[in-house]
Amino acid sequence: MRLRRMLAIARAEWIHNRRDPRSLVVIVVLPVVLLLLFGYGINYDLQHIPFAVYDLDGTEMGRSLIQQFQHSRYFSLREVITDRRRVDVLLDTEEVVFVLVVPPGLGRDLGAGRDAKVQALLNGSDTVRANVALGYIEGAILDYSTKLGIEFARHHGLSGTTPFTVHPIIFYNPGLESDNFIIPGLIVLLLAVLTALLTSTCIVRERELGSFETLVASPATALEIMLGKMLPYAVMAFADVLLCIIAGRLIFGVRVTGNISLLLAISIVFLAASLSIGILFSALARTQRVAIFLAFLGTFLPTVLLSGFVFPLRSMPAALQLISKVIPATHFLVVVRSIYLKASGMAVLWPLVLILAVFAVTLLAIAAKAFKKRI
Amino acid sequence: MGVAVQVDGLVRKFGDFIAVNEVSFEVREGEIFGFLGPNGSGKSTTIRCLCGLLLPSAGTVAVHGLDVRRHAEEIRAQIGYMPQFFSLYSDLSARQNIEFYAAMYGVPRAGLQQRMGEVCERLELGPIMERPAGNLSTGWRQRLALATSILHRPPLVFLDEPTSGVDPITRRMFWEVIDDLAQDGTTVFVTTHVMDEAEHCTRLAMMHYGRLIAQGSPDEMRSRHAKNMVEVRTGKLWDTLAVLQASDAVVEAVVFGDAIHAECHAALTNPAQTVREVLRSARISVESVAAIQPTMEDVFVSLARRYGHPEHVAAGGDG
Repeated sequence: MRLRRMLAIARAEWIHNRRDPRSLVVIVVLPVVLLLLFGYGINYDLQHIPFAVYDLDGTEMGRSLIQQFQHSRYFSLREVITDRRRVDVLLDTEEVVFVLVVPPGLGRDLGAGRDAKVQALLNGSDTVRANVALGYIEGAILDYSTKLGIEFARHHGLSGTTPFTVHPIIFYNPGLESDNFIIPGLIVLLLAVLTALLTSTCIVRERELGSFETLVASPATALEIMLGKMLPYAVMAFADVLLCIIAGRLIFGVRVTGNISLLLAISIVFLAASLSIGILFSALARTQRVAIFLAFLGTFLPTVLLSGFVFPLRSMPAALQLISKVIPATHFLVVVRSIYLKASGMAVLWPLVLILAVFAVTLLAIAAKAFKKRI
Repeated sequence: MGVAVQVDGLVRKFGDFIAVNEVSFEVREGEIFGFLGPNGSGKSTTIRCLCGLLLPSAGTVAVHGLDVRRHAEEIRAQIGYMPQFFSLYSDLSARQNIEFYAAMYGVPRAGLQQRMGEVCERLELGPIMERPAGNLSTGWRQRLALATSILHRPPLVFLDEPTSGVDPITRRMFWEVIDDLAQDGTTVFVTTHVMDEAEHCTRLAMMHYGRLIAQGSPDEMRSRHAKNMVEVRTGKLWDTLAVLQASDAVVEAVVFGDAIHAECHAALTNPAQTVREVLRSARISVESVAAIQPTMEDVFVSLARRYGHPEHVAAGGDG
């Protein structure tokens, strides 16, 4: 393997990219657009859930329950319904996520020491929001019940305590903010797609333009050609790693709690694997269009669906979990989240780094094998 | 003199199409080997097989004694290759392209500038060195491609139609360079479908519909094929042509400039006299009739007529 050949190939590729505005779009515009799109688009945190109240009781008890909801930052009261038909209208038009119905006789039942039931009518067509809202509603009702219980006990001269309470201390993401979870994953997704896109055209382009024939007639080996072509893209992709980390901090306020240098070092290993995937597509495809298409679908879909980026791997069928293991992004995702949120170090991460390194070497070997020095 | 290229029973198929069919020949070291034939006769496919760019479907190819199937990489280091179509980097300048291939072939850095200077001066590339190769006209592109293929002083160069699309002056320059290369001991394998270029070659092979139909030195080709060639000048070019083509004594008559070249039957002892008699009986007044040395074009036309259709070619050539 000759360094001079690789550098000459890298230089030619670099010059080509400098003159091609398309690469600038892929390197700078695409990551920023995707980061904004996904960063703002995917958010599990719900606040100010719109709701309406239909109070059929009208007693003090009902009003104080409603107040409990009004004072929470999770809910936002939109309307106090007086006409039954408005319930359907509001849920139909999705103006509210749920309607809280205070049944007649609530105050009376409670006063008499009987169980009192409150009704919540939810719009179940958006299961995520409905589920989250239901959880919040139950929480709010439970809070209120506890408060009533304590008041009742005090009133009767007993010590007002709750029998059991949970004191959660949440590690790694104390605010349970989904940005902290999403942004590191998004960085992995971006890099996986971007790297494959960048290298997907570099060989098939030469086939299309005709320069391939002279190149393969030369004694440069497949490995030299691939490594040479990957080098400029590795530099660009590395710049994108920095771009993503900085954008994540500035736009979404997500900071790396762990060692940034370690994160950068491991990302180089991942980039090597990921760039090889693009080269592989480039070596196999016969036109640039097909190569770009394959590279996009071949990295975007698996990374979104199977890497654990959005959908937790543990809840997937065993077969899918197995498939997810052969996607480099799956392992890199764990690394990035760990360093971002848990400040993990090499002591914990080394097996993942090893897996990524094996991926890099294997994929490069497969790509070099697929790259036939023939026309 | 050693053998640079040894080809035995080379076959290359693309699906059902047989592009190269049972071709055998050898190229000796230091010679200019002309590979002739019309477009689509299998010349480029053969060259690509020799360079290891295409695998042979059958047969063996050895370059400098190395089998092309097993030692393609070693062979590539010993050859220069100029493809038929422009195959350099359009967005690199001429200089950058040359430097790129100097790096690919490992031309020592120490002598590189001097060597580049020599080659560029020889091919007069000075004015376009800093221009992107993609912006060059065909003639300049061909010069640049020739320069990159010989920069590393390969002992064997394959030039696939180097002179196609270039002007006559550049064409002359190319053949001077090829002669110089041969003088220095380089083996030159060159394809062309321009028959007068064949006169420059030490030996020739002629392809037709994927078959090798003749080979030998230019003189051998002339004496073996299209022997009894007569040049006829009359006042009435087209009438004369019709008369000669209808005559039993004439195998083939074609217009050649302002004259007609008629190939007469090999059995005739004085073809010029026979042609005069044919024309006199047709009442065409003759300006001149003379036995001539056939040109390579005459040879080619004669051979092409004999092997006119692929099925005739399949019946077997004499090459």
